[in-house]
This record gives sequence, C-alpha cells and structure tokens, in this order.
Amino acid sequence: MDLYEYQARQLLAEHGISQPRAVYASTAEEAGQAADIIGYPCMIKGQATIGHRGQAGAVKRAENHEQAVALAEAILPMNIDGHPVSGILVTEARNILHEYYLSISVDRTSRDYDVLATASGGTEVETIAREHPESVRRLHIGPLEDFDRQAARTMAERIGFYHADLEQAAQILLGMWHTFQDSDATLVEINPLAKVGDPDDEATKHLDALDAKISLDGNAAFRHDGWKRFTDPAQVDPLEAKAKAAGLHYVHLDGQVGVIGNGAGLVMSSLDAVAGSGHRQGLPIGPANFLDIGGGASPEVMRTSLDVVLSDPKVRSVMVNVYGGITSCQQVAQGILAAVDAEGEQDQNDDRPIVVRFDGNEAAEGLDLLTKAQQPRLKVARTMEEAADQAVALAAQAGKETGR
Amino acid sequence: MTLFIEDGAPVMVQGMTGHQGMVHTAHMMAAGTNILAGVNARKAGMTVDFDGPDGQTRHVPVYADCAAARQATRARTSVVFVPPRFAKDAMVEAIEAGITLIVVITEGIPVADTAYCVALARERGCRIVGPNCPGLMTMSDRPNGVGVDLGIIPQGIAGRGPLGLVSKSGTLTYQLMGELSSIGFTACLGIGGDPIVGTTMLEALQAFNRDPETKACVMIGEIGGSAEQEAAHWASTHMTKPIVAYIAGFTAPEGKQMGHAGAIISGGKGTAADKKEVLESVGIKVGTTPGETARLTRDLLREHAII
Repeated sequence: MDLYEYQARQLLAEHGISQPRAVYASTAEEAGQAADIIGYPCMIKGQATIGHRGQAGAVKRAENHEQAVALAEAILPMNIDGHPVSGILVTEARNILHEYYLSISVDRTSRDYDVLATASGGTEVETIAREHPESVRRLHIGPLEDFDRQAARTMAERIGFYHADLEQAAQILLGMWHTFQDSDATLVEINPLAKVGDPDDEATKHLDALDAKISLDGNAAFRHDGWKRFTDPAQVDPLEAKAKAAGLHYVHLDGQVGVIGNGAGLVMSSLDAVAGSGHRQGLPIGPANFLDIGGGASPEVMRTSLDVVLSDPKVRSVMVNVYGGITSCQQVAQGILAAVDAEGEQDQNDDRPIVVRFDGNEAAEGLDLLTKAQQPRLKVARTMEEAADQAVALAAQAGKETGR
Repeated sequence: MTLFIEDGAPVMVQGMTGHQGMVHTAHMMAAGTNILAGVNARKAGMTVDFDGPDGQTRHVPVYADCAAARQATRARTSVVFVPPRFAKDAMVEAIEAGITLIVVITEGIPVADTAYCVALARERGCRIVGPNCPGLMTMSDRPNGVGVDLGIIPQGIAGRGPLGLVSKSGTLTYQLMGELSSIGFTACLGIGGDPIVGTTMLEALQAFNRDPETKACVMIGEIGGSAEQEAAHWASTHMTKPIVAYIAGFTAPEGKQMGHAGAIISGGKGTAADKKEVLESVGIKVGTTPGETARLTRDLLREHAII
C-alpha cells in the first residue's frame, strides 16, 4: 500500500523528522488559501502515489496567489501513468544548498533491510545508481539486529555528512528506521533530504525532508487498525472496492475478457493466455481484470465473483479457469449457474458468454452440471489455452455485433 | 539420498485443530504422511482421529507446544496452518524446539515477521518452506512407497519420475504436475508468493542439483522481485541438469499487487519480460503458457535422452 506524500509526512513528523511547513488542499481555491497561509514563494505539489511527479509537471513553484490557484487548477486533473492526482500539498519553498537521498527498504534477495544513501540526491535513485555508482552507500540491517544511534552515526559519516549536519543526519536515519519498524513499512524514502538555508548565514542551515515516499505492508494492517487513517475512498475503483468487501483479490484492467480463476499464479497465467491469444488471432482483445477466488471457494464466492466481473460494462466475455486442489469444481459450477440465473432475472438481454475450463478436484462433476443446465451462455473448454482462444473470439464477435 | 524429508519421517502440525488444519491434516494422512502430533496450547491433551491411507483410524494427540510434541514423537518437521497474527510465535516456537523443517502454508503474514523467523531459522540450521505456499510433496522411490505430502498439494495428480519442480504458485504447480503427469517427479516444492520466503528458488535448484534421482527441473516464476534471475545466474555456472521455466504475469500492470503479496512490479523492476530475458540469456527455455512449458520440458528430456 503506497502512501501519498502528505500521508508519509505525517509518519515522518511523528518520528521527529524536520520538514517544511505544508497545508493540504483538495481544490484550487483551497490551494490558493493554503498558499496565502504558507507565504510566497511556495511549492504546489500534486499528490499521486507514484514517483517522478516533478518530471511529469505536477510539482511547481508559485510566486503569488494567482499563480498558486492557476497551477493547482492545471495539476489537479492530471493523471501520472495511471495514478490520478488526488489533491495538492502546498509547502514552503526552500533555498536548497545540497540534496541527499536516503531510503530503507525490504531487501527480497538478502532477506533483510537495506539502507541506501547518496550525497547526490534529487533525482530517481536508479539514475543516481547508474550515473554515480561510487556515491551510493549501502548498509544491511539483519532482521535479528537493531539499528542504533551509533550505527546511524557511522552510516551518516559514510554518506558524507559532516560538522553540524552529522548529528542531524544520524537523527533522521534513526527516525526513518523507527518509522519503518513501527509502521510495518516496506519502503521509507526521503528524496531529497536537503540542506537548506541562507548560504551566508550558518545559523539558518539545516536538513529538511523535502519529499517522502512510504509503502506499507498490507499483510500487517491488522496491527494498525486496518490503516483506516490512510484510506482514500475517492481513489478506490468501485469494482475493486466491491470485490475487496467480498474478500476477493480483484485488479481492474482495460480489456474485454473478464478472467476468474483460483490461485494468483493461475489467474496471472490466464491473463497472459488471453492477451497472447488476442495477439495471435490478430484481435484487439485483452484481459479486463484479474480475479482470484482463492482456495476452497464456495458457490457463493464464485457467484459474487461473476457478479463483480460482469458489472464491468467493458466485459464482453468471461473466462473461468479453475484447477481444483482444495477447491471443488462442482461447487464452482453451482456458483456459476446461480450467478447466471440471478443475472438472467435482472437483465434478460445479457447474453455475454462464459467459457469454463475445469481440471482437478471434481472437474468431471462440475462440467456435467454445466452441460446439463443447457445454458446457451455457458461454453466448456478442455484446456486453458483453448478457453482463452474461445473467450477472445467470442469477445471479438460481440464487439462486432454491438459495434463497440 | 532424500529430498527435503525422508519417507515416513514423523511430522507435527501446528494449528491442526483449526478448520484448515483439520481439512489438510486429513488429506496429508490419507496420502500417507506420518503425522504423529498436533500442537495447540489450549487443546493440549485431546486426541483427534484421522483415517490413514489404509483406511485404519489413527489417533493423533495434541500437545501444548512444539517441544512437548517433539519429545513425545521425535518429529523434527512441522507444517504450520496457524492464522497470520500468530504465525511468528508459532515459527519461533518450532525453531526453538529444534524443528529442522517448517512448512508454512499460512497466507498474509507481515513481511517483518517472516524476515525475523527466516533469519532465526538460518542461524539455527533450520529450513523454512513458504510462507504463503502449497507446501512440498516428495514421491517415493521405493516400490509401493508413498512419499511425503506436507501442505495442501492434492494427491493423485502425478507420480514418481525424473523431474524436480519449484514454483511460486500453488495452482500453477498442480497445472504443470498435471501436464507432466506421464513423466513424473522426485519432488514438487512450492516456495510461496511472499516477498521474503524461507527457501528460495536458487536453494530449491541447489537441492535438486544434489539429488541424483532428479534429472531435470521445472521452475515456475511470476512477477515481482528477482528470485528467478538469481536462480538462473547460479544455475548458469553450477547446475548440471537442464531447466525449463515458466513465468506468469506478462500482462500485469506496474504498481498493482496481483494476488500474492510479492507479485508486484515496482519502479519498473520485477517484470515478467525482464525475467524471461535473463533466463533465456543463460540458456533456460521459457514457455509462454503452461502447455508450451510442458512441451518444452518433454523436448528437453528427449534431447538429453532422459525419456
């Protein structure tokens, strides 16, 4: 779960990390008022859960009220690589003397925590690592170890902080580590951590976190009251919300074939099969969603799943791919029939085809149920490749008929 | 030699008396796994009946903790079905009781808890498999032997043969086992779909490489992290046996978690295309569908005169 900058700031502030003053605004008018409070010049920063917001033009400097409002108006409707801007953070503009990069993340390879830092911050760390590999400092923290003040100070020295900055940098590193641990984060990144102030007045110089990115471990939500304080109802896809409420893993994509299966790997594989089939048949057809019904799904779960998938108006056909391990294909078949019956009562014109492939536990019984129902919407395929081909061809055909 | 666990080795189940634990203990027992103990502090002293592979009833006692279960049964293997919020305590308890193989089926464990347990296990010479995995199944090399089923991999999909299978996904494991059932396996190991796992793809390949009965490997990966690339780099210089791979998630969008906690492309890293490219660069063939992967495996086995 990726946090917005304004949310990440809250967590860092709770751990005593110094940041410029900021006010959150959800409209351009509010942004103007916020800018008046902060004072000029100020920064107008679009809030989206993705990096490189600056390069995308969602972070600008305003010199006066009119500029602040105009910039907010331009930034609010933006969408950066599929991540919509949800609001504006108006912050003090700082006089930047130097930029550093600091991050702590879960290292999947060494199975511990990775502290990464460089004295040439400001841009994406991948760029820094490529262009200035010699400037990158790394430290691994073992899951059985702790990262204490002394370790933080040693790291700060290695990064290249000196004099008065050294103590503050160590303090910030320690604050980041505590943020990481206390919040069950998988990433805490400050970029840039900037040395700011009047170049001619030592007393004004200090380190400020000018931007932050934090990702939280979704599996740890139970320890944090479900992270209710970070949920953002405006940003949730309605279909994803409906599926989540039913305990299903659903990801909305933009194709025409709804995909339902059991197990994350098999469902991903089914999406690839649909995309591959569209490509091979020269048809502009792709997967409309990812939906994993999980292990041991009941008829009710299958019924809800079809309901969610079919409520996407872009869906023209559905592929159901189940390899029964714990899951009984017979129960899945019952769910499919219940969903088709219920939907038929609601909308008799809905004839979007459902292609089913079963294998494993009670596959024969499940297929038998479907065949006996004599539902023209239901098609049966022998293999997952065949199911993908059929679902793609049917979606293409439906598209031609309706002119969609 | 034996892969991961000896035939007939005694096994305990943590969380046996819960719903999932009961269902899967019954199925592991029916498959012939020698389950001698359940662990649950609140139900210590009770006994649960299951049917063995011969249809005879087995009485499985429940112990207060892993140490007591180990002392009474000499089991040094545990299968864990406890819910996520208790999983860390369960794993630590097993490690401290001297359990040497812990198979964790539980999905949804915080990564910090897994990281802690995996580090502790490695320090104590204990192997964790998983979490968030279907477990592992070995096929016996003895006539009428039953092998060991630790976890939720269904019985009867495939039997003994020359292949070793390692996978991040449960249902794709069953799918490939089904596609290659006429060839068979020495063992099938689900490493799990979490960002940090106790046994990596590389470690699974190392085990298969050491096992003289395994002649070739099937590796099933998915988006997220770089476990497949690391395994491939190691294999390119150390593996003496051919490998065929399958990667799921070519159509997965950036920044979206695809079911598994670890199945996420972040900052452009962990894509299926990147994994395929690295695997192919070291000569590992990658199928575009499970069906094609099975065909490539058969071709490779013929090429190496294994079948």
